[in-house]
Amino acid sequence: MLKMMMLFLLSGFFLLSGCASTMYTWKGYDNKLYSHYKNPAEYAEYVENLKEIIEAGDQSGTVPPGLYAEYGYTFYVQGYFTQSITYFQKEYDKWPESRVLMAKMIDNAKKESKKAGKGAM
Amino acid sequence: MNSGIKQLCLIVCVLAAGCATPKDYTKFNAASPRSLLIVPVVNRSVSVTAPDYFLSTITIPLAEQGYYVFPVNMVKSLLENDGLSDANLVHAAPTQKLCELFGSDAVLYITINKWEACYAVFTTQVKVELYYVIKDGKTGDVLWEQQQAMTYEPQNANTGNLLGNLIAAAVTAAATKAAPNYVPLAQQANSKAFKYPGPGIPPGPYMKTSY
Repeated sequence: MLKMMMLFLLSGFFLLSGCASTMYTWKGYDNKLYSHYKNPAEYAEYVENLKEIIEAGDQSGTVPPGLYAEYGYTFYVQGYFTQSITYFQKEYDKWPESRVLMAKMIDNAKKESKKAGKGAM
Repeated sequence: MNSGIKQLCLIVCVLAAGCATPKDYTKFNAASPRSLLIVPVVNRSVSVTAPDYFLSTITIPLAEQGYYVFPVNMVKSLLENDGLSDANLVHAAPTQKLCELFGSDAVLYITINKWEACYAVFTTQVKVELYYVIKDGKTGDVLWEQQQAMTYEPQNANTGNLLGNLIAAAVTAAATKAAPNYVPLAQQANSKAFKYPGPGIPPGPYMKTSY
């Protein structure tokens, strides 16, 4: 009986340590990206998934590297340049390694936004 | 008797150690990259979807190993917009140039050599074979490389009688034929290839230390 309990406890610890073993909150990012490649037409769903991942990690500061950028880029390709800049800036602030690319993207988004603004007038 | 067992143990240990050729990490440690740029995957398999599907598996293990991993889908898209949708072209381009463009410390190049299912009547074997190489953004030198193969044969349920077994196996084979699942296999290959110590990649700057 005691042995059984010990075993039970032990397996519980293993399960727990399994849960806590990732540094970042991924929320199945790999599966989401896979589905995106499988069904590229369902772009809105991919965007929504990225948003969920970011929301899940935001409070605890465990948004994985690249995710703000990836989400910002979905705005960029859809022509929502102001929103894209917000997320490129977040990536820039959180990850020094991203700064060269993010500075370029922010710059591009600003230019595109100006162009789009002129077109609208 | 006892010493015989000891000797046997020793032999086994030596054999096991001999199998894993120790890697030279001097260059890697000297460069100690903080960030990895993953460029589109070169595909030598017959599956057209393999490179994209594979790309979805690569970020998590490397980020969890403590590296800044550039957003793979965005990078792919940016390269395509610049007329670099051909992975072979990207792989042939100078590493320094790519790193300069993205501000990355190093580039991870991946080649898919095999991504296939071998169909027999009652069983299906799924196979992936990958080649990984990390090159330094400053010198273009190879910092690390690894070849990794993985095979998976779906476990057949034993129903206790021959006919039952055959039917179960046929069902499994049919299921795999409809949609062979390569992704878990690719994930396994990644975790095996990146494992450190082992053949893998030393922990990056964001790796939480356990002490």
